[in-house]
Amino acid sequence: MAGLWWPARPAAGALRAWAPRGPHRGKTAQVPRRPLPRTPWTTRGPPPGAPLPRSWQDKRPVQEQIPGLEQVTYAGKQYFVPWLARPRLPRWERGWHDPRHSPGPRYVAMPLYKERVCYVCHQRTKMLEGVRQALWLTKTKLMEGLPPKVLSIIDEPANQLENEDERVQNAISHARVWITTELIPKRESYCPVLLEDLLHLCRTMASKYPSLSKRMLARDYKVAAAWERESSILQVRGMNGILLNAINPLLPVASKDEILATENHILETFHPISPTIDLQEVNVYEERHDTGFREGYPYPHPHTLYFVESANVRPVRFRPEQLRAKMLMFAFGNALAKAKILYGDDPKVLEHPVVVQSIGTEGRIFQFMVFQLNTTDLASSDGVKNLVWIDSDQYMYDYIRYLPGIRKKVVKFPPGIYGYRPDTFKKFLALYLHGAVQDSTQTQIL
Amino acid sequence: MAAPRGWRLAGQGCCRLLHTERSAAPPPPLYPPVVASHTAKSKSAKRRRLEYFYQQVHEAPSIAEKLRLYGRLQRLKYVVYPQTFSLNADRWYQSFTKTVFVPGLPPAGAQPAGPGAPDLSELRSLACDALLQEHFYQRKRERPFLYREQQHVPGPFLTQLVSSLSAALGSSNPLLATSCLDLKPQVNFYWERGETVVCRGYRTGRIDPVRFQIDDEPLIQIRVPKQLPEFVPLDYSVPGEVPVINHKPDKLPLFKRQYDNKIFIGSKVADPCSYGHTQFHLIPDKLKRERLLKANLADQIEVTYRANGIASLFAWTAAQAMYQGFWCEADVTRPFVSQAVISDGKYFAFFCYQLNTLALTVKADQNNPRKNICWGTENFEEYGTRNHFFLPSLRILCAPLL
Repeated sequence: MAGLWWPARPAAGALRAWAPRGPHRGKTAQVPRRPLPRTPWTTRGPPPGAPLPRSWQDKRPVQEQIPGLEQVTYAGKQYFVPWLARPRLPRWERGWHDPRHSPGPRYVAMPLYKERVCYVCHQRTKMLEGVRQALWLTKTKLMEGLPPKVLSIIDEPANQLENEDERVQNAISHARVWITTELIPKRESYCPVLLEDLLHLCRTMASKYPSLSKRMLARDYKVAAAWERESSILQVRGMNGILLNAINPLLPVASKDEILATENHILETFHPISPTIDLQEVNVYEERHDTGFREGYPYPHPHTLYFVESANVRPVRFRPEQLRAKMLMFAFGNALAKAKILYGDDPKVLEHPVVVQSIGTEGRIFQFMVFQLNTTDLASSDGVKNLVWIDSDQYMYDYIRYLPGIRKKVVKFPPGIYGYRPDTFKKFLALYLHGAVQDSTQTQIL
Repeated sequence: MAAPRGWRLAGQGCCRLLHTERSAAPPPPLYPPVVASHTAKSKSAKRRRLEYFYQQVHEAPSIAEKLRLYGRLQRLKYVVYPQTFSLNADRWYQSFTKTVFVPGLPPAGAQPAGPGAPDLSELRSLACDALLQEHFYQRKRERPFLYREQQHVPGPFLTQLVSSLSAALGSSNPLLATSCLDLKPQVNFYWERGETVVCRGYRTGRIDPVRFQIDDEPLIQIRVPKQLPEFVPLDYSVPGEVPVINHKPDKLPLFKRQYDNKIFIGSKVADPCSYGHTQFHLIPDKLKRERLLKANLADQIEVTYRANGIASLFAWTAAQAMYQGFWCEADVTRPFVSQAVISDGKYFAFFCYQLNTLALTVKADQNNPRKNICWGTENFEEYGTRNHFFLPSLRILCAPLL
């Protein structure tokens, strides 16, 4: 290698390239060092009572220690000299307002500025305590698993597609394998495609249940809801996910007894962590309620919220716990905005609870949630609470094999989907049919 | 001496043959066949290499392998953009793809009355709801960002319209019930048409085919597992001519680039839904009606729609044909049919395309009377006043989905 600029080996008789010089000359790392004696200083900081080392002591600036002493700067000289301190000059004022170079109005000067801080939950909020924190903020009681009404939709054989397994596996293969000319698609491309394909499969059930065609999807809509919770103002704002709107509202899933039984439930706190951790604190805000649609919208009732977590990079992506918390907060936000518009701003227990469903996925793992808003009286932690049923971490399949696994020139593991679970799509379809199937069963009963 | 000995031997052989019966198989040749060189810089060597390449593609074990071999060699090629600002691009694209443009819609075949005929009033109300949701009821930003107006309202409106219409029509059309809906899929096709002399580089002076590539991204696409029935027979003689343009494609303007030769219908060969049904395109912001009118190009409005329809549909149908194993040396034995709806949110134009031939190279096109056919309507307003939906156009809009 002719281009090397440093000698690969030192000359004969010379010291090693990285050997210590000076007083420790000759002492290389090859000499094994004895272990350090265990003294209070070497184990964990200085012993109590002993003076701190110089570098750990509090350093106050010299101006505070010696009052009256000023730094000598080169401000008077009006040119730089290296041995004088750098002066703190006053900020230059333009004298006139240039809109292209203006820093903008200060927060304090804005018309919506308020002294009291408001905590906002938006679509990038990753809450530390996850679902527990969202339960406290929304005054909700958690029930594991989906409600029995939805589970009964799954059990009925009439609510299944023709060749359901084959069509769902085709949809998974389409999203994960066939969508691109490259070998492996990125999560940003396959995750929304999988959701669209599953929704397309669910929409084909409209031939069996005509009331399914009375629904409309809305993308890129913004929701706004505000409430007070034990002396903190909380808000849910912004774009969240894809919303399926329906003409008729979802009927309440829990009976009156279950709703009254929630009065005895105590919300879980996690002292010393504040329940408003990770929420954005704002001083300039406006408390308003907005479903995202104007009055007179023919599909006024929110039915299901679909969340797609498709960030390519793992640190940016929401963990399942954080995704469930986000789903709960936005389902609550949509339900609260609808309730305030229907029943007014006064906090009260609702006679007709508002039900909003939510499904979140990151391409393989699905989270299902049914939220029932029973009360808008959220200031105190007593009284009737809202209910949420969560079915978490439902795997649709275990993994995808892109290339065949060949052992000793024989294809042992063919490419394709491994570990497909049909129950997950049945739950997806059941949540979609919830609200439309009930009508037909009720009419049958009548 | 060699000659008389050979003659005597031949004579002896002939005499023997006169008296004996001819044996079934001729004797194996003593020497290998005399063929042109493989590596020489000559026309016969080039011909031999081409024959070898065609034989390799014919004998490919699978369709994916066939597509890989077909587009293996990368050379500079013209990139054809379906949505283009070029003037009179539709005539150029017709010449590149050997397409005859027929105004109007194809002759309606005998449509069997399905079990449940679609209720037009219901579909009309669905369309009105989608329109009102995007334009009025959903709260959006007042002014979209620069050159993003089409993505702001018309794009979501078309997406919503197609998904709800295809779901509603699934009951009357079983093909739509098993269809696959793609949002913003990739559609690519690579082909060769005509010949030219290479003018620059180390290959100067050689005769090369002119290569084209289309990379298209329709807004929505519906793919079905069964092929749509043909509009006209395969060898139908269309009243119309393919325009012949005696200029290099550079004049359009078209520019050359060299990259992967991709052939893709929106999903890989293994997908069961490998036939196309309908594509929906959205005219981009830079080619909107208002901009063309401001630039005094009112006659080019129709041209942009036609060019988009011809190029996109040719790429899609030809890629579908290649997915079934046909290519320029193995021409299609049945016509491939697809449809497209091109709009800018307010004005719609409908196109139907029938691919009758893939043989567009000079060698394959020598005795090929077949032409591809594209039927297209003019663009007309879907909704005039506030709530008035033109029923005839809605019927046409639903006809591709039936």
